[in-house]
Amino acid sequence: MKKLVNSREFVLFLILVLVSVAISIKNSSFFSASTLFDIIRSSLVYCIMAFGVLMVLISGNVDISFVAIAAMTSYSTHMLLLKLVYTGDITLYFVIAISMGLLAGLLMGFIITQFNLPIFYVSLGYMTLWYGFNLFFIGATMNFDLPEGMVGYYARFLVKVRDPVVGEAGLHISVIYLVVIAVFIWWLLKYTIFGRGLYAIGGNREVAIRTGYNVKRITYTMLALVGILAAIAGVTQSGYSRSFNPVLFMGKELDVIAAVVIGGASITGGRGTVLGSILGVMLIEVLNRGLIFAGIPAEWQKMVVGLALIIFISIPAIAEQRAKRSRYIAVPKENREE
Amino acid sequence: MTKRSTFIKNKRSHRFLSRFHIESRILLLLGAFVFIAAFFSITEERFLTPRSISSMAFQCPEIGLMALSMAITMIIGGINLSINDTANLSALMAGLFLVKLASPTATADYMSFFIIGIAILIALVTGLLCGVLNGVLVGYIGVPPILATLATLTLYRGISVVVTGGKTLTGFPKQLSVIGHQTVVGIPISFIILVAMGVLMYVIFKYTTFGFKARMLGTNPTAAKFSGINSKSITMKIYILSGILGAIAGIIVMSRINSVAYEYGTRTYILLTLLISVLGGISPGFGNVIGVLFATFILQILSTGFHMLLLGVRGSSFFKDFSWGVLLIVFLIIDYFMHHRERMV
Repeated sequence: MKKLVNSREFVLFLILVLVSVAISIKNSSFFSASTLFDIIRSSLVYCIMAFGVLMVLISGNVDISFVAIAAMTSYSTHMLLLKLVYTGDITLYFVIAISMGLLAGLLMGFIITQFNLPIFYVSLGYMTLWYGFNLFFIGATMNFDLPEGMVGYYARFLVKVRDPVVGEAGLHISVIYLVVIAVFIWWLLKYTIFGRGLYAIGGNREVAIRTGYNVKRITYTMLALVGILAAIAGVTQSGYSRSFNPVLFMGKELDVIAAVVIGGASITGGRGTVLGSILGVMLIEVLNRGLIFAGIPAEWQKMVVGLALIIFISIPAIAEQRAKRSRYIAVPKENREE
Repeated sequence: MTKRSTFIKNKRSHRFLSRFHIESRILLLLGAFVFIAAFFSITEERFLTPRSISSMAFQCPEIGLMALSMAITMIIGGINLSINDTANLSALMAGLFLVKLASPTATADYMSFFIIGIAILIALVTGLLCGVLNGVLVGYIGVPPILATLATLTLYRGISVVVTGGKTLTGFPKQLSVIGHQTVVGIPISFIILVAMGVLMYVIFKYTTFGFKARMLGTNPTAAKFSGINSKSITMKIYILSGILGAIAGIIVMSRINSVAYEYGTRTYILLTLLISVLGGISPGFGNVIGVLFATFILQILSTGFHMLLLGVRGSSFFKDFSWGVLLIVFLIIDYFMHHRERMV
């Protein structure tokens, strides 16, 4: 019980509830199923990408190219299928985009493991490269032509509720992807050699190698998964917005990383959980959305979010410094894997 | 590296390698620069004309200064994602002051130069304050730099939106555009500022105790701490320096395009500066800021060159992004073959 209360996830959950309650008191229409569904819907794709970011962060690296992979896979798939006069539903989109994401991830894995390069540096080039590729070779304009089978995708709901304000609100079926992926990643991180290896590499790379973890294979697997998750997120987002954008998610990469770190992942590696990442993304989404409901003028919102962010990231840092001061020799709590 | 810093790696071979490391990256950049410039000069007759060269020299200072400001934080093992917004915020503060006080049609008298001087001072102070906040968060509170500066990025952009209401500021006195449009013996003033700042940073990091300590902090923070280096104050000073460089970039932007907006360059500039720094060979504790200048020039000629070469092709201006990404990865791989093979496992 004490462990639960002290955990980062619990604290985050409390903050999330507190912020929601505070906004609901200010504006009661915030507290509704439609708002909840809306928040889930808009944070879902970021959650999916956040899992990839989470794995990379746990391994002690930073990757920012996932947004470009998401844009490249979804947009190229769309343009390809448009040329082939495809009329089916979104399934084929996922199949092609995921295989492209897989290939992109493996290519990056090849560059990184073959030449022992830091992931962050390569991902900088990789991101610029794929956005440039998309814009120059595939197309530079947003595309709104959808194949017949995909037209209704944005409004395919799992459950629907009556809402007094907006009429009918629904929970989009893509929430299933999120649940499946979240459980899968959680299982990977907790019960497989791959997942344990990620934590080991992030904790201490040298020790992980000496222990016998196959660092190359783990890196390949990790980057392939990042590519796949990015592709899923890209196609899902394009399905929502009913348009395919060559610069999809551009500029969002740092926000996703920030969300994952707020969710308890360490930027230096070895720490982070799936639940924390989801809560981190949700918290930022609730903040962004809630400020509108709370009646804060539009031009003040960015500043308020910035201030909130500074407070969120300063508190754990201060706590960490205190812990370091009081327990100088004992293993700090922050270094545990859970 | 300096003679003083050689004790970091006191083996003779290492000393040779570390000396070789820096020189080799500069040589590599210089080689790439000459090669790419030669390539465009041959394939495109409009490339090697005074007009296109001067337009390149006018375009690159702002991004070069921001890259410098990114690079110096990377040398101490940090990162400063907020520089673009520091630049915008500083320029906006100066812009607000100018719009309030000076009329755009005023004739060239010493009064308006005085006002512009104050405006520039306001911008520099704003940049300094932005740097102080970053320094407090990173150095004193201990927030990971990538997160701290990401949060301040949001905050600075937020403040910029608040002070302007999201509008673009225009209508500055004519004299302001001197910085962004005038030349001295054919060289744009902004370009001279960039080179001067580059040389200044080079001198600071190569020949001063402060620069040496900063490098040590980047190489190994724990070792630096136990050698009695005040890492907090070094971090603070570096971020302040970074903020001021950002402010200078902001002034140049303001002067060149004669307007300021909170969203200028926000989508691409941050990662571009990172890319330039990495391309320039900057890594925690190592790297030569002159490399950053060369990297800036290379990206600029690639951008201009491909733009001219592919004129008329659909989406021609986007090929540069593709080429930048390829260039960075190729550079990293060449770097590996040249001397990083023995490093890491």
